[in-house]
Amino acid sequence: MSAKLTDRSQQDFGLSPEVACQVRDLNVTYRVDGRELSALREVSLDIRQGQITAVIGESGSGKSTLALALMNAVSSPGRIASGRVTYRGLGEVTGMRGEELRRIRGKAISMVFQASQNSMNPLTRIGAQLLDLARSHDLPNPRAVLREAGDLASRMSLDADRVLTSYQHQLSGGMRQRVGIIFGLVLKPEILLMDEPTTALDVLSQSSVLEIVRSIQRERQLTTVLITHDMGVVAELADRVVVLYAGRVVEEASTAELLRHPRHPYTRSLIQAIPRLTGDPGDAKALEGQPPSLASVPNQGCVFRERCPYRMDVCETILPSFRFDGDGEHRFACHYEEARHD
Amino acid sequence: MIEVKEITKIYAATGGMLGQKPVKALRGVSLTLADGEAISLIGESGCGKTTLGRIIAGLEASTSGDLVFDGTALSTLSPRERHAKFQQVQLIQQDPYGALNPARPLGEALADPLRLQAKRLGKDASWVQMRAKELLQLVGLDPANTLYKYPHNLSGGQRQRFVIARALTVEPKVLIADEAVSMIDVSLRLGILSLLSDLRSRLGISVVFITHDVAAARYVAPKGMVCVIYRGEIVEYGATDAIIASPIHPYTQALLSAMPVLRGLEEPGPDRYIPAQDLDLRLDDEGGCLFRARCRFATDRCAQEHPPLVTVDEGRRLHSCFYPEARHVVAVPIEGASL
Amino acid sequence: MSTASAAFPGAASPPHHRPSLLTISWRAITRKPSRVIGITIILFFTLMAIFGPTLYPKQLPINPAELYAPPSWAHPLGTDFEGTSVLAEIITGSRYVLSAAALAAVFTIGFGTLAGVVSGYFLGSTDQIIMRVTDFILTIPGFPLLIVLSTVWSFGSPIAMGLVLGLTGWGGLARAVRSQTLSLRERGFIEAARGLGLSNAHIITREILPNISPYIAMNLLLSVTGGIYAEVGLFFLGVIPFQASNWGVMLNLAFGNGALYTPQALLYMLSPMACILLVTFGIVLTLDAFDEILNPRLREG
Repeated sequence: MSAKLTDRSQQDFGLSPEVACQVRDLNVTYRVDGRELSALREVSLDIRQGQITAVIGESGSGKSTLALALMNAVSSPGRIASGRVTYRGLGEVTGMRGEELRRIRGKAISMVFQASQNSMNPLTRIGAQLLDLARSHDLPNPRAVLREAGDLASRMSLDADRVLTSYQHQLSGGMRQRVGIIFGLVLKPEILLMDEPTTALDVLSQSSVLEIVRSIQRERQLTTVLITHDMGVVAELADRVVVLYAGRVVEEASTAELLRHPRHPYTRSLIQAIPRLTGDPGDAKALEGQPPSLASVPNQGCVFRERCPYRMDVCETILPSFRFDGDGEHRFACHYEEARHD
Repeated sequence: MIEVKEITKIYAATGGMLGQKPVKALRGVSLTLADGEAISLIGESGCGKTTLGRIIAGLEASTSGDLVFDGTALSTLSPRERHAKFQQVQLIQQDPYGALNPARPLGEALADPLRLQAKRLGKDASWVQMRAKELLQLVGLDPANTLYKYPHNLSGGQRQRFVIARALTVEPKVLIADEAVSMIDVSLRLGILSLLSDLRSRLGISVVFITHDVAAARYVAPKGMVCVIYRGEIVEYGATDAIIASPIHPYTQALLSAMPVLRGLEEPGPDRYIPAQDLDLRLDDEGGCLFRARCRFATDRCAQEHPPLVTVDEGRRLHSCFYPEARHVVAVPIEGASL
Repeated sequence: MSTASAAFPGAASPPHHRPSLLTISWRAITRKPSRVIGITIILFFTLMAIFGPTLYPKQLPINPAELYAPPSWAHPLGTDFEGTSVLAEIITGSRYVLSAAALAAVFTIGFGTLAGVVSGYFLGSTDQIIMRVTDFILTIPGFPLLIVLSTVWSFGSPIAMGLVLGLTGWGGLARAVRSQTLSLRERGFIEAARGLGLSNAHIITREILPNISPYIAMNLLLSVTGGIYAEVGLFFLGVIPFQASNWGVMLNLAFGNGALYTPQALLYMLSPMACILLVTFGIVLTLDAFDEILNPRLREG
């Protein structure tokens, strides 16, 4: 098995050098009441080597489904209906099954969840769980994992001995989230997936967790995917942003470009809806309407039109295709923006 | 008007690492909430702000101290009278999912307290119907599309609106919103915040907004007051704008610094500072300043003496720091980079 | 909101009026064939218990000429040691067995739910007292107690039998309901209801009970099977003097008359057993429908 992985690890599987993971035409559906409902529709994106790519969207946008699909961990009643997810050095994962997949998860790709306490065993001490993790991945020296965890803990200004001998309920929310990140990093994965890593935290804990992620990512050049609904977190951390709405990518750009020149009306309203400390409070506008549910996403035309201030006739029937801007680094799918700039 | 007088709350030891000894959640907090005013209680998780909100709402008893509602000290009242007083104060909980009974239709959740209210006011059943629709419209929900639904049919934002409508059924004088938007998508938060702000200006309801997010406080009441709480103590108090523009206490500065900077649109404030240490409730540092372990300006004096809450700016501003200095920690917008 | 649902007909907006409990139950039951089978069995036995005994004379005829007769048109399940039709005995005996079991279930659920909810909601000394009583009920061995009781009480009427079974059987349910109430009590909506000034009675009946109703309904059905086993057991052991025949009495007599050794008596012995098994089977098949009927989230699924 490990021999097979090393063989593969040198292969690029047709990816260009700056791309760590390529997602192509990914469709994920959930079977609800006899109907197949799409959670992700034709999602294509490149996750760049050594960068932090953020996926931003509201509840129901499919962002958490995307995180699961990246690990081929979508579970019933959902399934990956079509599409490919290809990693440098690992290959295509949507076709992988069982043991092959298990080896990859945690070792090559690892995930930090929103509520880290849910992914920890409440009845076992943190240290013992780390040892279990190391053993389940057949590491030659499980103790080294504890050492690594201790180092990470100290870097996160946690008392390493205390944390490793604690049960999860003995830690505060911010500490648990950091321990969740230790779990994510301790096996030295190539790719780190983080699903809402700071949502349950207050601003102070959030900002220190973000700082930790930032410094470790820089140091290890760790390819990171950050799933969130909070543009503030994106702005603090991400190099690139993919905006997801109703299961579709509607815009993608570098973070600074996206914040400064958002093209899609949805992205623009997302940024305008952030409560800020500066500027006239009257300038902020709430995003009208509600995010669509799986069942209410229109099957044709633009998915955002119901809440869009610039809705046109063409939006009802024709799905806008991507337009590229800024050397092809910025893409968006909007009829109105397209018409405005032509 | 509600006066909070020297409220303390001590939780008995519960075991575990965080609670081997009694936790002082509130250490003598006093403040005044005028009718129609908005006040934000700001601090990180565990600072006691939620406990204070629950005590004002009558959901928890204080260890010592008193509440005075419109001149009547609640300690002088019988439990029944006190209960009636506390109905003027309604708490909006953080979690709009837990706040609604999953097994009952929303219309009934609204009708129950309305029927009580109808009895009190001598109204009939048609009034209950009418009032339910009125309240839903007031919070921006479509009655025809809401009354027959169950909680799980609504999104988080819609649930929180419904919870606010339910709190309004008893015509409260005060709404306490405890982290009322923290579990809601950022894109929908602003709508809830401006709803709270509207209710204050249109119905004259006082709002106590409990949060760790100073920016959110600004949208509930730009002209309101902010009360920064650290480990059960008020460390700074002042008008929202003044606190944001020139925070005096290092803890307030830390809270404001921690707000995400929208890089590209904003630059970090020149004095931005985020303490590396977490809030540690186990620290036994009575006698000195409670913040000193995390404060970069702490001196020997801070370890020996407890800084008192002092009044500056003709009573409009309070702070408890030996070395008060206004610092610019809030992000600075980049010229010409607004949307 | 309204524009959104108008634009997407058939979208996730539920109907504007709520369907009645009957409609909901019908939908939930017809969703799975197993539930249809289950409910058919239950209905069949219920009708048998209600109307069956009226088809036969009060005292079933005996016929010494036809002892242990094999099945025939006149006696589809054969006859017993006295030449009485086994089918007639099964049908006339069902009323006592099933009504006593149903009453036992109602009493068990009634006492258990009341004690559990009140205990878990009010806590304090109320809780202390109720829980001590519950512990007492749980500690006394139910079956031996019934045997002792039967020496002083005849259990001639199903009400007496049901009451005794209920009184001795509610302890476990009370504990379970109490712990469910305790966890519900901490939920935000209970606190909100208190803050809005709603009465304790209202909170218990309108806020707490609907949330534990699927659990209670399932326990109600399971208690029916428990009741059947307990009473049939008592009759089988012969500790209760009986006036009329029922399933338990049949088993007792079958064994007492050496049915184990005569192959002709096989149907006489197996028929009541089969009935008990069938009723249990019907109940087990129907159980999972209740969660769907009483839980609004699953109802729309």
